Amino acid sequence: MSRIRFLWLIAAVFLCAVSARAAETPAAATPAAAAPAAAAPAAAAPAAKVPLGLPPLPVPADNPQTPEKIALGEKLFNDTRFSSTGTVNCATCHVPGKAFTDSPLKTSEGIHKLTGTRNAPTVVNAAYMKTQFWDGRSPSLEDQSQHPFVNPVEMGLKDHQPILDIVRSDPAYTAAFKSVFGKEGTAITMDEVTKAIAAFERTQISAGSPFDQWYFGGNAEAITPAQKRGFELFVGAGRCVSCHTIEQTQALFTDSRFHNIGVGINTIQSEIPALAGEFLRAKATASEVDKKVLTDKRTSELGRFAISRGFDDLGSFKTPTLRNVAVTAPYMHDGSIATLKEVVVHYKNGGVTKETDPVNDFLSGGIRPLVLTDEEVADLVAFMEALTSPEYASMAGAGGTK
Amino acid sequence: MIESRVTRREFMKGAGALAAASCLPVSLVELAFADERQNFTFAYISDAHIQHISGTKFVRNWDRGLIRAVAETNLMTPKPDFVVFGGDLAQLGTKAELDHGAEMLAKLNVKYRCVMGEHDYYLDLGKYWSELFGPHYYSWDHKGVHFVVLNSILTYDDWTHNRWPTAEQRMLEMAGLDNPNGSPFMVGEAQRKWLAEDLAKVKKDTPLVVFSHSPIQKIYKGWNFWTEDAEEVQALLASYSDPTVIYGHVHQIQYNQIGKIAFHSVMATAWPWPYPESYAQAQAQGQIQFPKLTVPMNRADPFFERDATGWQFIDVASGRTTMKYNLYNNTNRVVAFNTKTGQPEDTAFQDQAGRIEPQIHY
Amino acid sequence: MSRKIAAFVLAAAAVAAIAGGITGGITARADEFTKEDLARWEQEYMSVVQTGRELWTSPSLGTNGVACAQCHPNAANTHPETYPKFQQQIGRVIALRDMINWCIQQPLEGKPLALDDPRMVAIEAYVAYERRGVEMAPGKH
Repeated sequence: MSRIRFLWLIAAVFLCAVSARAAETPAAATPAAAAPAAAAPAAAAPAAKVPLGLPPLPVPADNPQTPEKIALGEKLFNDTRFSSTGTVNCATCHVPGKAFTDSPLKTSEGIHKLTGTRNAPTVVNAAYMKTQFWDGRSPSLEDQSQHPFVNPVEMGLKDHQPILDIVRSDPAYTAAFKSVFGKEGTAITMDEVTKAIAAFERTQISAGSPFDQWYFGGNAEAITPAQKRGFELFVGAGRCVSCHTIEQTQALFTDSRFHNIGVGINTIQSEIPALAGEFLRAKATASEVDKKVLTDKRTSELGRFAISRGFDDLGSFKTPTLRNVAVTAPYMHDGSIATLKEVVVHYKNGGVTKETDPVNDFLSGGIRPLVLTDEEVADLVAFMEALTSPEYASMAGAGGTK
Repeated sequence: MIESRVTRREFMKGAGALAAASCLPVSLVELAFADERQNFTFAYISDAHIQHISGTKFVRNWDRGLIRAVAETNLMTPKPDFVVFGGDLAQLGTKAELDHGAEMLAKLNVKYRCVMGEHDYYLDLGKYWSELFGPHYYSWDHKGVHFVVLNSILTYDDWTHNRWPTAEQRMLEMAGLDNPNGSPFMVGEAQRKWLAEDLAKVKKDTPLVVFSHSPIQKIYKGWNFWTEDAEEVQALLASYSDPTVIYGHVHQIQYNQIGKIAFHSVMATAWPWPYPESYAQAQAQGQIQFPKLTVPMNRADPFFERDATGWQFIDVASGRTTMKYNLYNNTNRVVAFNTKTGQPEDTAFQDQAGRIEPQIHY
Repeated sequence: MSRKIAAFVLAAAAVAAIAGGITGGITARADEFTKEDLARWEQEYMSVVQTGRELWTSPSLGTNGVACAQCHPNAANTHPETYPKFQQQIGRVIALRDMINWCIQQPLEGKPLALDDPRMVAIEAYVAYERRGVEMAPGKH
């Protein structure tokens, strides 16, 4: 090779090497393409499919879901023989076609049309609640269903024996209990009855509302502009989301906690010291509490305090879910507020229904007067109307779009 | 007297329950007591910080805190022997604020006594406060216990009288907890002299309870969790058999044992304060001597305006105090003197293993 | 003759290439700021921190006279190092300034600041300054 050519060669090699290094340097400055070590959380084992907007369904280990158990539970749910008059069953107050409420009744009607003090909560999505009843006196679905049977203003039985007599002898039941629980005769107890009812209730979950389709499903057209404004108010100036929870990937619309928002208790403010003291003196058992709160309106207004006897719980009730709220009027634990607009106004007033009423001393720290225009009130109502699941969309009061 | 059939588990869950207030058998908090006559309860409400906006408008948040504490105190059955208001009734010491606060305290169905706080004092040096509530420092005896109220939020004369052009400015400067223009609290020589004379008449085996706004300890100077002459005051108390200091100002649960003296803070009804160690710069520079015993209270959820605020009822048995903190939106707490270890302890959470998430997280 | 020129050009190019290679490439050059620049920029920053401190203690961010410093002396308990995180009070993952706005609206009963408002930057600068030295812990509660 001639010297010139050799020089060319060296220069060429050098230039190549230099340009390669120049190209490298900027590349080295950018972060490596590999994802950081703990990038995505490990994918959970996929649970049974739930509607869009709900978290995985909690099912207790000692009461797994099976189609047979669910069918048995539904049968028990609808059996009117479990009442003293033979006319009342769970579905009397939790009507399947009415999103499992008895809308438009303010408080439910049991045997002889006797009324209690509380509005029937929906069974829909109750499976997600940490406690049952407005005051959380029942720790589970399984525990809850035994109480209305023996409440004097609900099914009015003296005890559970009539139920046990039926399920132990009626051929329509005996085969099912044998097959589902492997039990027959006196081995069948209220434990099995309530487990079956709970299994049925656990199937009543629903979401996939226009809000869910918009917020979790990414469909920008699923709700109206008013409803979108309502959402921003819901998480902002409306101060709703802290108790009626929405999270990043699902929304239960309830924190399962107890709050005094100034309904009902406002009417007994001056009597609270006497009532609370009297209640403590009685020192009731759990089933006595169940009867007392449903039959004595003034005691009912003590709310969770009747269960926990903590000052913090005076007049406080469980946050209900807002799913399907537009079709489950009237509202609050005593059914005392008829429309969603009046509900929003109650919150706007800071925990009183009439603006001039005195606020009760034990009001939750989360409740205070809101600064909302009339249009904003309407937007919040519109937003709540977007929470109706497709299967209830044809009920009276259902709003939303698409 | 209502018979309480509250079980220990229920008590722990709902320590604020009416019937549990004062007729709980003292053995439930593991104190041995010698003489039944000496057991009694009093309630303590503190740091209301009633804040005037304009006209008849006050900051609603702080108003609701005091209203609730008063309403709950009134529910206690049997009634407490007396109530103490621990200082900082007003935010800026104005007549409007003190009057509005006094109006709310007037609803108490039990006699109450007041302790001076800096927010009450630095506008007019406690003049109007005295018209409403009486002397700035005093003592009395009750069921064999000697009670002393100190005005422990005084400071150097120069700062008080010469430093600021107006009284309003002086009050504003003292009102900022983290204000570098502030000045350390103290009891001062005159009051220490009075205290020595007052205690000279008290037998050494008499239980002693001192109410103070500032901590009579040196915890963190940057936030005036501080009493400049703490050691001198402590020395005056140390020769008594069961001295307790109860203090406000800090808006959080604290407790400590220094020699023979047990120290307990009380909650605010208005708002909670962060623990000093959460101020990273002070922590990093080793400026905090925080009572290590204290199991912290939960961090507040700012949505719930009463969260981490509260009031307390205090059992006195044989001179030892058990503090029962009634906290909103939080598990109630009980701090009782443990005779085996010789110091105050949280009856549920002192052991690390028993702590709940909010106490070990931020 | 042309061969000598070519060789020279080649060599010159090689030298230039080597020189360029040593400083990181022929076209890119690093910033060369001075100690004076650093001191001045630090001061600019601290002046914004100071504005943030004034806003922090000011009753005028809200409408009820309450200031941030009343509950957060020295910006304690704000935990800027944990943002962005899921904020239960807002129902989603948010950045620090969203929480600052929440506090202005809720406890202070005021109007939220625009996210690009210089006052928001000043408040964040002050909060971060008081928390300097603490490890990042995004998402933590």
